[in-house]
Amino acid sequence: MSHRSAVFNRQLPDDLSELLRREGIFPDHAWMAVETDINLSGNYEPGWLIAEPDRILVVSQPTTAVPAPVRLLLSRESIKEIRTRQGVGGGFIDALVEGIYVEVIGYSNARADIFHKAAKKLKQWVEGQQPSIHPDDDRNPRKCLKCGMTLQFKGDMCRRCVDRGATFMRAVKMMRPYAGKAIFMMCLVVVNIAIGLVPQKLVQLLIDFVLAPEQAHNRIPESPRSWLLALVGALLGTYIFAAVIAMIIGRLASFVGTQITYDMREKVFNHLTKLGIDYYDRYNVGQLMSRVAGDTEQMKGFVHQMTFGFVAQLIQVATVGVMLFTISWKLAAFTLLPAPLVVLASVFFWKRIYPRYYRVWDANSKLHSALNTILSGIRVVKAFGQEDREQKRFGRSSGYVRDSFRGVEYTVSMFNPAMGFIFQLGGLIVWYVGGMMVLGDKNLSSDLHPYTLGRQLQFLGYLGMFYGPLNSLTQLTNWLTQFLTATQRTFEILDTTPQIVQVEKPHRLPAAASIKFENVSFGYNRHEPIVRNVSFEIKPGEHIGVVGKSGSGKTTLVNLIARFYDVDDGRVLINDHDVREIDVDDLRKNVGVVLQEPFLFRGTIFANVTYGQRDATAEEVLAAAKSANAHDFIMRHPLGYDTYIGERGAGLSGGERQRVSIARALLYDPTILVLDEATSSVDTESEKLIQDALKRVTAGRTTIAIAHRLSTLKNSDRIFVVDNGKIVENGSHEELMALEGLYYRLVKIQTELSREPSIDRLAVEKK
Amino acid sequence: MTQQTESDKAQPQDAPEIDQTHIRFLTPEMCVIHLGSHAALHVTVKNERIYGGVFAAYAFPVAYPQGYISLIHSVGEGKDREIGLIRDLNDWPAEQADLVRAALKRRYFIHTIQKINHIGWKYGYISMNVETDKGPVEFMMSWQYDRAVDYGKGGKTLIDVEENRYLIPDVSKLEPHEKSEFTRIIYW
Ligand SMILES: Nc1ncnc2c1ncn2[C@@H]1O[C@H](COP(=O)(O)OP(=O)(O)OP(=O)(O)O)[C@@H](O)[C@H]1O
Ligand SMILES: [Mg+2]
Repeated sequence: MSHRSAVFNRQLPDDLSELLRREGIFPDHAWMAVETDINLSGNYEPGWLIAEPDRILVVSQPTTAVPAPVRLLLSRESIKEIRTRQGVGGGFIDALVEGIYVEVIGYSNARADIFHKAAKKLKQWVEGQQPSIHPDDDRNPRKCLKCGMTLQFKGDMCRRCVDRGATFMRAVKMMRPYAGKAIFMMCLVVVNIAIGLVPQKLVQLLIDFVLAPEQAHNRIPESPRSWLLALVGALLGTYIFAAVIAMIIGRLASFVGTQITYDMREKVFNHLTKLGIDYYDRYNVGQLMSRVAGDTEQMKGFVHQMTFGFVAQLIQVATVGVMLFTISWKLAAFTLLPAPLVVLASVFFWKRIYPRYYRVWDANSKLHSALNTILSGIRVVKAFGQEDREQKRFGRSSGYVRDSFRGVEYTVSMFNPAMGFIFQLGGLIVWYVGGMMVLGDKNLSSDLHPYTLGRQLQFLGYLGMFYGPLNSLTQLTNWLTQFLTATQRTFEILDTTPQIVQVEKPHRLPAAASIKFENVSFGYNRHEPIVRNVSFEIKPGEHIGVVGKSGSGKTTLVNLIARFYDVDDGRVLINDHDVREIDVDDLRKNVGVVLQEPFLFRGTIFANVTYGQRDATAEEVLAAAKSANAHDFIMRHPLGYDTYIGERGAGLSGGERQRVSIARALLYDPTILVLDEATSSVDTESEKLIQDALKRVTAGRTTIAIAHRLSTLKNSDRIFVVDNGKIVENGSHEELMALEGLYYRLVKIQTELSREPSIDRLAVEKK
Repeated sequence: MTQQTESDKAQPQDAPEIDQTHIRFLTPEMCVIHLGSHAALHVTVKNERIYGGVFAAYAFPVAYPQGYISLIHSVGEGKDREIGLIRDLNDWPAEQADLVRAALKRRYFIHTIQKINHIGWKYGYISMNVETDKGPVEFMMSWQYDRAVDYGKGGKTLIDVEENRYLIPDVSKLEPHEKSEFTRIIYW
């Protein structure tokens, strides 16, 4: 063992090594030494699995409870088998000793990858092979090469290392295509704010020059009526102008807002369709729905904030503030007195209220989920008469939404009047101090720039325009967090790398024929292989039947051919090319799959049959349907192929649905046809017909058919018997019968059952 | 060309068929739970046989953490067979119940969070500094819906980047400030 690996040839602590040496154990000479983090009591304690040429040991630092460093010692002869077993949050290596699986060592999930590799090596060792350790073994495709962070899956990008840029800037960047419009819009916003200042100025002019000029020491105008008219005219002009500008801003904001929401939604959806099936195993559809529909809406809110929200308000606070100071800096200073109080109170308030907004989001998304689940399962609900319960359940969800909204709004409705009160305090100061100034208090007012009644009213007007936005500005952090979390949720989808990725230069696949599995292992969860080390070869044009118990992994196995999932180990080859190197479109075109649960979309039968082949002609569709034995039942519908079917194929029977989906696959004209119990809910007679039809259309095609009814497989060239993720028997019907193995037993059971003459019928009719 | 692989290879011991169509409840009268060779958990069912290499699993880990515990025996080839269910551990002699508890603790490597010291958040990752029944732990978890899943009525199970598990049995029982910090980030 000249190669040493940092992970599989661990250096033990010196004192422990010394202790072991005294007992004649030399960890440095072992061919493998792996470190674990937990002991078999489920507590954190470092331990080492040491493998010597003829025995394995588990050692730990001595403790008061267990003074001996060696916790377990097994000789190689005594071990018949090594396996890993998954617990919850961790796992074990077990050894089969004297007919008993002994737990050798436990590890937490953090170390599961390492121990799975170690177990593989131990297996080789038990079987008498020379296990090898390479420094390469230390490489872990599930760890980021840069920072060592565990990735979600092999090949995922490390979020810590990738510079994602601030979410906010990404949102701003979404607006880039509309930059011109956005800038123009912002200019208008500034103009709009400026116009907003005009009416108060007109009030001042009205009072100080027309209505009460004496108090302002102004001359009494000669024709106050025409002055009045002029001012009213000016006000009218301002209003018209403001209204027009607001309209333009509104239109622009709506245009840009809806457009980038649309862009975002489209991006998210397009990305969702690219994500692997495993993604949908993990996320629930209702959740994703609320993301696509709801979270993307936030982009619109963002534009709204720019035009009427916080950005506009910030500008307004600044300009009004300047105005206040120019009118009377002394008074302005007084009015600022409550401002810190307002800011403080708001910050405190939003910190408290904010989590409640989260709850509103949560409640809404749960409501979506509940609705989605109940409505898609409505048949089951009715079948079990659970309408009442679902109504109650929905009521609870809905009540949760109501309560969480109330929770927020009650508090908000307390807060706003309280804030209003504080503003009015500011107003009171202005009333009093400003009033004193108007009355001519020499201490406050200067002769140069007399404070008039008009100015006082103007000031009071501006004060409202100053405090209002100030109050809502304090909600800025709140809004920002909400916006950022929503966009984060959408960006999270966008940042998920599709697990099925196309290689740089994919192989084109003109026509596929042969399939080969080389030591393929695959599991939905990282450490639970469902397909275990499977190898086989299928020649072009061969017809393969696959049988096995429910849950044995048949569907999983064939899904690997169409590359719905990528293998964890080994290779799947089509025409001697790894499927991962084949152009995905070509692959899908060549591999036709009839799924176990046929899914039909809402639409006409014609649209469903041509789903994969939009340009198919009517005649091709007729031919495919005829082959699938679907033509006759379709023709029984008054609208024929234009019959509209509902969600998931509602309106068709189970067998009819299957036949439509077979027609869909046949139309696709794939060179490899995968039928996953395509005829399971079809009666024996139609099944025979479909079989015959399939035989015709599958001539020359490589066909893999999974079936529970073994009679359907008699025509297969070869039959694979799958058990527990392995192909345990493989041969023709006759060969397998002669073998008297699992297949033989399955056939025997089925013939026994079908001696009951009507059972097959019954099973069909029950569906 | 035919092949036959290990499935029919002799099983560890010729397991007598346990009726797998009925639930069998184990009682202290009919069987003894004890440690055998190499400290492996054994179950001896009277008038039946000794099962070695047994492990225990909860049927309802959330709803009944004291009962409905399945004792499972491996028959090889990755296949397991249930010996029977324990209805309630409290009905069993203390030392036997403790053996089962230890086996459960081995199988369920879950940290129970007792106190949250700090929650940070960066780039879609949440960093947590917590006190657990297994001592203080700092971990990172990705900020995703499927990484913090409901546990029973008010609890949450957190799954960190290493796929280790952390349990908060009842979020509402956290200290108020911990709770608001927690729900601020894990709001679903
Ligand atoms: N998406 C999934 N995520 C996790 N586990 C899965 C998933 N799909 C299937 N499994 C598990 O993988 C195993 C094999 O499933 P598979 O669908 O391949 O069985 P099958 O042989 O096709 O069974 P059947 O005859 O009932 O269709 C089962 O134990 C199942 O629970
Ligand atoms: Mg299946």
